[in-house]
Amino acid sequence: MSVQTIPGAAAADAPQSSRWRSLVTQESVSTLVVSVIVGAAVILPLITLVVSSFKVLDSGGFDTTWGFDNYKRLFTDRIIPKAFVNTLIISFGSTVVATFFGVSLAWINARTNCPWRERLEPYNLIPFFLSPFVGAIAWHNLASSKTGLLNVWAREYLGIETHLLNVNNLWGVVWVTGIFFAPLVYLFVVGSLRRMDPSLEDSARTTGAGLFRTTMTVTLPLVMPGILSGAIIVFVTAAGEFGVPFKLSAPYGWETLTTQIFSKAVGDDANHYLGATMSMALGAICAAFIYVQQRYIAPRSFTTVTGKGFRPNVLDLGPWKWVAFGYNIAFIMVAVVMPILCLFIVSLHPVWEGRIFLNELTTINYEKTLFWWQSGAIKAATNGIYNSFFLAFVGASIAMVLSLVVSHMIHRTKGFGARLLDFLCVVPIGFPGIVLAMGVLVTYIQTPIYATLWIIMLGYITRFFPYGQRNISSVMLAISEELDQSSRMAGASWFTTLRRITIPLLKPGIFAGWVLLFIIFLRELSISIILYTSGTETLSVGVYYLANFENEPLTCALSIAQTVVLLICIIVFRRVAGREALTA
Amino acid sequence: MSAGEAMVALDRLNKYFGAERAVNDVTLSVAPGEFVTLLGPSGCGKTTTLRCIAGLERPDGGDIRIGRQTVASASQGVYLNPEDRNIGMVFQSYAVWPHMTVFENVAYGLRVRRAPGHVIKQRTMRALELVGLAQLAERYATKLSGGQRQRVALARAIVYEPKVVLFDEPLSNLDAKLREQMRVELVRLQREVGITSIYVTHDQSEALVMSDRVVVMNKGVIQQIGDPQAIYARPANAFVASFIGVANLMQGTLIGRSGELCEMEIPLGEGRSPLRVSAVGGEGAAMGQTVILSVRPEDILVHLKAPETAVGNLTEGQVIDTVYLGNFLECRVRAGTHELGVQIDHFENLQPGQKVHLSFKPEHGLCLTG
Repeated sequence: MSVQTIPGAAAADAPQSSRWRSLVTQESVSTLVVSVIVGAAVILPLITLVVSSFKVLDSGGFDTTWGFDNYKRLFTDRIIPKAFVNTLIISFGSTVVATFFGVSLAWINARTNCPWRERLEPYNLIPFFLSPFVGAIAWHNLASSKTGLLNVWAREYLGIETHLLNVNNLWGVVWVTGIFFAPLVYLFVVGSLRRMDPSLEDSARTTGAGLFRTTMTVTLPLVMPGILSGAIIVFVTAAGEFGVPFKLSAPYGWETLTTQIFSKAVGDDANHYLGATMSMALGAICAAFIYVQQRYIAPRSFTTVTGKGFRPNVLDLGPWKWVAFGYNIAFIMVAVVMPILCLFIVSLHPVWEGRIFLNELTTINYEKTLFWWQSGAIKAATNGIYNSFFLAFVGASIAMVLSLVVSHMIHRTKGFGARLLDFLCVVPIGFPGIVLAMGVLVTYIQTPIYATLWIIMLGYITRFFPYGQRNISSVMLAISEELDQSSRMAGASWFTTLRRITIPLLKPGIFAGWVLLFIIFLRELSISIILYTSGTETLSVGVYYLANFENEPLTCALSIAQTVVLLICIIVFRRVAGREALTA
Repeated sequence: MSAGEAMVALDRLNKYFGAERAVNDVTLSVAPGEFVTLLGPSGCGKTTTLRCIAGLERPDGGDIRIGRQTVASASQGVYLNPEDRNIGMVFQSYAVWPHMTVFENVAYGLRVRRAPGHVIKQRTMRALELVGLAQLAERYATKLSGGQRQRVALARAIVYEPKVVLFDEPLSNLDAKLREQMRVELVRLQREVGITSIYVTHDQSEALVMSDRVVVMNKGVIQQIGDPQAIYARPANAFVASFIGVANLMQGTLIGRSGELCEMEIPLGEGRSPLRVSAVGGEGAAMGQTVILSVRPEDILVHLKAPETAVGNLTEGQVIDTVYLGNFLECRVRAGTHELGVQIDHFENLQPGQKVHLSFKPEHGLCLTG
């Protein structure tokens, strides 16, 4: 700088320029870049969705005008208002079911002397990792009114005239969604139950309250914030669930918002704009609930960990512990064992009419859905295997890199960018996959990534990277910031510190998050179903295709294949993440 | 004290954790209105004993009686749940329920007992007045300070007038100043209400200040039961002597007895003739038996020159170092193979390496047998 200096001005200038230079650092530049990317990925689809919802398709189906007609149709359509009511019934019902199972099982596992409770816990959590859509297929084959295995047996052995159970209605959806989301509530509750200071309960006992009264007036109220959080998440997830109502209730006349979005926005006479409007309605409900949860309930959790060295004592249930044990076993039976067994039995039959024929068992269904090199293979199914593994592997990797950088910025940098990122990471959780997928669809429909796997991957990552980010954040919060700072003191740059100190320390969290996302991507349905085209089917889309256009045994075969892969992933997840990873 | 009038009676209580015997044949009876403290280092079984009385642990052997009722008996297979024992308990972590107001916390025990509404209101407010929290009744427990939570826990434990209140190190989470204040207040309250109290602590000064009687425990076994003066002045064995206050312990041999006093010989190592001292105690010890001399630091006198008048129990030593503690000087002195702690409240310019003479009065020395 060879500018002539004026005394006084130089003094004012120097700090300013150094201030500017200090802003242009590795750290601030990457923070900014990542914020912009995340912001664009999250906000763009939502904005486009809002804009599209006001576009009205004319009767010819080509030109659009602006207006509120789509919103009017939400109320005047023949089906949509009913679908809206059905969605609320399903959400509410499955929240009740999931909360009941989740809280009672968590209590049994964390606070009682139920036999073998440590062994039971992983099985209680299995439904969390499996596909609810596959669960619906299984329960359809277990308890549809005509060919459901349980109903056939009931007619045969119990002499019941018509049927014992029928899951092809709203209550079937409530049941299956409820048991599959019970682990969500479980996970929200069990950690705080386990960490609870036992003297809070002990003092109720010494004050004169019995076991039941203590549980009702002290134990459960103390974990009420956790219960409410879990219940709200279940409500929102159930409202956005596509597979279960699609399989169980929609074909029998009970449509939901998700099945309506799918059939109106993706069918032959697709109306994306109407789909966007319905997504707005669904998204608004869910976002409102998540807002309430994040704003009012999550911060309210009672700090119950106090005192030194309390031993984690549990309640002695006496002979009732066997009742608790039986109840837990019953849950595992209806949520895990019976569905998987039923799928397996059906998948071995050439055709399925509700009866087991041991002499006709065949592996043909597996060959047709899995053996892509054979000529008789069904392409929609075999494509799904390759596509899903690609999406899960690459998607989880990209998402974890993103999560790592984002968590680092949220927890280790200060300023506006950090708070903005923190907010952006909550937004996708508030929107069901199908809503976000509609946003992605209308945003990118005219770009080259439309009809490729990349648009699906974009949807996956946008929707689910907060899960990975949470996984890393929890580990990062447990690691002292001073470990990073002392690396900087020793002369390492921000990036070197990240590479040499932060990432190695976070390895367990990173890998656990990666496997979790891998599992989620491998079973994803409601985003894929909106964004796939012929050739980019995923595993769950393959199952959907078979369920819709082929027969039950083929559907069950691919379902079993997906379930087996997921079960293997669960074992890997527990190995790397440890027992406490989810429940601590 | 006859067994008939005991409010709480433990008879050969035993509790195992795995192979470890946490409570070993503990027998104790507590009179109505008495304040008894279980004192000992951590892991000595005092808290386990208390939790057995509360019903939070199930004893493996022995009986527990509260009032006239046997609440636990391993031999008879009796075991009452905590809620059926009519006791109150104050926990170390206070365990004040964060989802209830102060009033609701305290009223809980009355509600459980189905007291009518006006009784609940009246008695809860009286208990809160007693602990000085009446004006905070509607506040949530999370908005209270540590000392206030402590008071809530106390009010909650006494509001339904239980037969006995159990305290599990209730003051250990408070800061030093508040702890001393609460100590005084707790004793005042206990005297006022007249409630039978069993108090667990590892803090000896707490035990000495508050209790009618102190029960010193170590490794699950009761070492001594007595009032605070007796425990301090006449410890029953070396453990009690060193655990209560500070004591210089020296091993020696009993060589004679004259009246109240007994004569001991303490070897001081090679090159020095053994020290002959007279001290009190030593009851039941035989001549020639190995005994332990216990002298408290504040009872040892330091002379810069050899005293001119004949003084008993005198020996020479060399100053190792001194620590200035404001109101007194703490000094370590080597006497032969022994290292003695001495407390001096006046002087003086003691230099490390300096030669001094030490003595103590016979009534300040205690001959211990175990």
